[in-house]
Amino acid sequence: MMSTINKSRRFTVPIGPQHPALKEPGHFEFVVDGEIVQSASVRLGYGHRGIEKAVESRSWIQNLYLLERICGICSHIHATAYCIGVEQLAGVTVPIRAQVIRTIVAELERIHSHLLWLGVAAHEAGFDTLFMYSWRDRETIMDILETLTGNRVNYSVNILGGVKYDLLPEHNEAIRMGLDFLEERTVHYVDVVTNDSLFLRRTQNIAVMSYEQALIAGVTGPTTRASGVKRDIRLDAPYLAYANYPIKLMIETHGDLEARFVVRLRELLESYQYIRTLLDVLPEGELKTRIPRRIKAGETISRVEAPRGELFYFIKSNGTDIPDRIHIRTPTLANIASVTHLVIGQHLADVPMVLIGIDPCFSCNDRMTVVDNEGSCDVWDGEKLRQYGIEYYQKRST
Amino acid sequence: MIEFLRTLVILLLFPTGLFLLFNAMIYQWIDRKLVARLQNRVGPKWYQPLADTIKLLANEEVFPEGTNHILFVWLPVVGLAGALTAALYVPILGLSPAYSFSGDLLVTVYLLSLLTLCLGLAGVNTRGQFSMLGATRTLTQLFAYEAPFLLALLGPAVVAGSLQINEIMAYSSQQWLIFTQPIGFVVLLVGLMGKLEIPPFDSPEAETEIVAGALTEYSGRGLALFRLGQWVELVVGLTLVAAFYLGGIHNPLDYVMKTVFSLLFIVTLQTTMTRLRIDQTVGLWWRYGTLLVLVQWLFIYLIEGVS
Amino acid sequence: MKITLMFRDILKSLFGKPATEPFPNPEQIEPERLRGKLHWNPDGCTGCQLCVKDCPSNALKLFVIDKAKKEFVMRYDVGMCTFCSQCIENCRFNCLDMAQDEWALSASSSESFIEFYGKETNVKQLLEASTTDDSE
Repeated sequence: MMSTINKSRRFTVPIGPQHPALKEPGHFEFVVDGEIVQSASVRLGYGHRGIEKAVESRSWIQNLYLLERICGICSHIHATAYCIGVEQLAGVTVPIRAQVIRTIVAELERIHSHLLWLGVAAHEAGFDTLFMYSWRDRETIMDILETLTGNRVNYSVNILGGVKYDLLPEHNEAIRMGLDFLEERTVHYVDVVTNDSLFLRRTQNIAVMSYEQALIAGVTGPTTRASGVKRDIRLDAPYLAYANYPIKLMIETHGDLEARFVVRLRELLESYQYIRTLLDVLPEGELKTRIPRRIKAGETISRVEAPRGELFYFIKSNGTDIPDRIHIRTPTLANIASVTHLVIGQHLADVPMVLIGIDPCFSCNDRMTVVDNEGSCDVWDGEKLRQYGIEYYQKRST
Repeated sequence: MIEFLRTLVILLLFPTGLFLLFNAMIYQWIDRKLVARLQNRVGPKWYQPLADTIKLLANEEVFPEGTNHILFVWLPVVGLAGALTAALYVPILGLSPAYSFSGDLLVTVYLLSLLTLCLGLAGVNTRGQFSMLGATRTLTQLFAYEAPFLLALLGPAVVAGSLQINEIMAYSSQQWLIFTQPIGFVVLLVGLMGKLEIPPFDSPEAETEIVAGALTEYSGRGLALFRLGQWVELVVGLTLVAAFYLGGIHNPLDYVMKTVFSLLFIVTLQTTMTRLRIDQTVGLWWRYGTLLVLVQWLFIYLIEGVS
Repeated sequence: MKITLMFRDILKSLFGKPATEPFPNPEQIEPERLRGKLHWNPDGCTGCQLCVKDCPSNALKLFVIDKAKKEFVMRYDVGMCTFCSQCIENCRFNCLDMAQDEWALSASSSESFIEFYGKETNVKQLLEASTTDDSE
């Protein structure tokens, strides 16, 4: 009896693929009862571009620029992960000055990504003023990056074997001035986010993920650091300059939305300090080293800490100048499943906030979805997928 | 004959009718421009709300399947008519109200709520998921803020001893009620924000959660009329606030200064507060709103009893 | 209960200039390293075609007019270019350069996107040959 009464008040609210809450297309379905969410499901695939297939017909150098354009916000870190992997395969060591410059640009990118996230998260909460101000401050970083690299997005600083652009003393000056301004503003934003009573009502004790849940769900990045899990690739498996100059880990234990805000803002403050340290110790040296056109055969992995979490590249070479296979696992792919569990029991009004709490980037993580209505549950390998594609197009052309 | 012409001019041209519609667009522009300037942006040019209305009126109107055609078309008209009729009894631009009779305060308040009811009905009528959620939230919010809003309006009525807007204004011209009833002033302004679904009380129209709330499926003429109705309500509400609490309105300059002052207050709250969830809105209003206005009434009662 | 914590920000903005810049901005100063439209200087080019080979989007194409005298014509498609500057990295003779102030490149027709760089006589010769060929 109860279930029939409840059923009549339940309905499914679709969020996406077109919805003002999502900046990129993705499909979520929430079954709500009144205003409380009962269950959720997610479906991806709206931004799938076939990049993992496209890299198999381009040379190593051309792929660098293709992979850089997987995501606009974390473009440099994709290129860096790729470069690290290819340089490992080729057995080439990049000069130390190039590594430090790569790290500086990666941290600058982290700053711009977190400021962008702060604005979007405030917009989802309805706090448009914080959105406008944080994006105004983000322009400082964009100007710094434009002066240093020549472009605001898709910096193209990396080349296989080093970097293209040098960091001159005038850039040093400009970066320091920008960072001083931003540090003052970030301290103000930390104050606003942690003390504003109305904002706290939207973020405190909402979508709490405990330490055990974070471990089981396998989330990465600031989302997991907000639940107390000490996981950061820059410390666990250091790369580039992080090996010589370790960065501090920012942990919050509460695991709610407010903790996710605080972790990212504190990471911003740590990035400012870290860039200043790197600028002080910038070593002299070459900017690039020679790397052969044909990379030695072999397989390698490279893991880096993107602004959203752990970015994982698997690169396989067969000795030619065209890669054999590149597989990319972006952090959002690991984090997105946790959304379907975190929203259960929350108000519908909190759902966009929960979604933005994991910092989703749908363009990074798209996969092709095969919807199998018969309910079979087996794993498809490359051959089966290829066969499916052949049959699909044969059917279409007849 | 003269009477008939006079009625026609009042209803269609001045001070309600076309003049009021343009007045509403100017006030909407002031609101948007102030919000933009406070957010360090430039903001729209003065003709933006006018351009929006003209564009919407020229757009194709899409009728969703399964809705009642008559209700879909006529609800926006009734809502706008309610808002325009409410303006007949308030002193727009400092001129004495076009029509005035004892008890017209309650009629005005009812006519202002008519627009919200039409909004809720329109949302339920269009029967999409987002519209239903938006309509539910609109009507819930109506139940939340209506009581403190009305009580804050009745505060000056009680001390003036009349329910006619004219006479209340005459009383408040002698002593500025903002100083003797400050809590009532604040509650009235915040209640006006709730009525107009201005942030932080824009949960019924939360863009990032339910697209556009009750008006999700509206486009073209229906949307234009609803939006015009909301803008007219802003003008009527500000006029009431200025007439009751800010010492009455005696000439056009007075009108502009006092209404823009109240609008400044609203805009400051709008930019510095984040959106509240619907249950938080209702909780806030039924706890603090009603409590504050009852405290205000206690003071009025005590002071009246003493004097 | 603390609210309106951004009050000082909005007060400062009310009495200051907006942060928005007008477009087009008359006071615009482009940074030195801005990657605008590509320019090719035929003096010094040996025809190694490393730039053509590594372009991620195949925006460059080199036509050989006379290999011994090093007369080439380069066809550059602005619409395909991703402004990555890999070609500039590859060129050992500094023939390629990206303009700092040509970044407003949108046009209403795609014909204007294709540029032929080289000596005028060579370019004319190439274009006449291609119209008789009727390729593209």
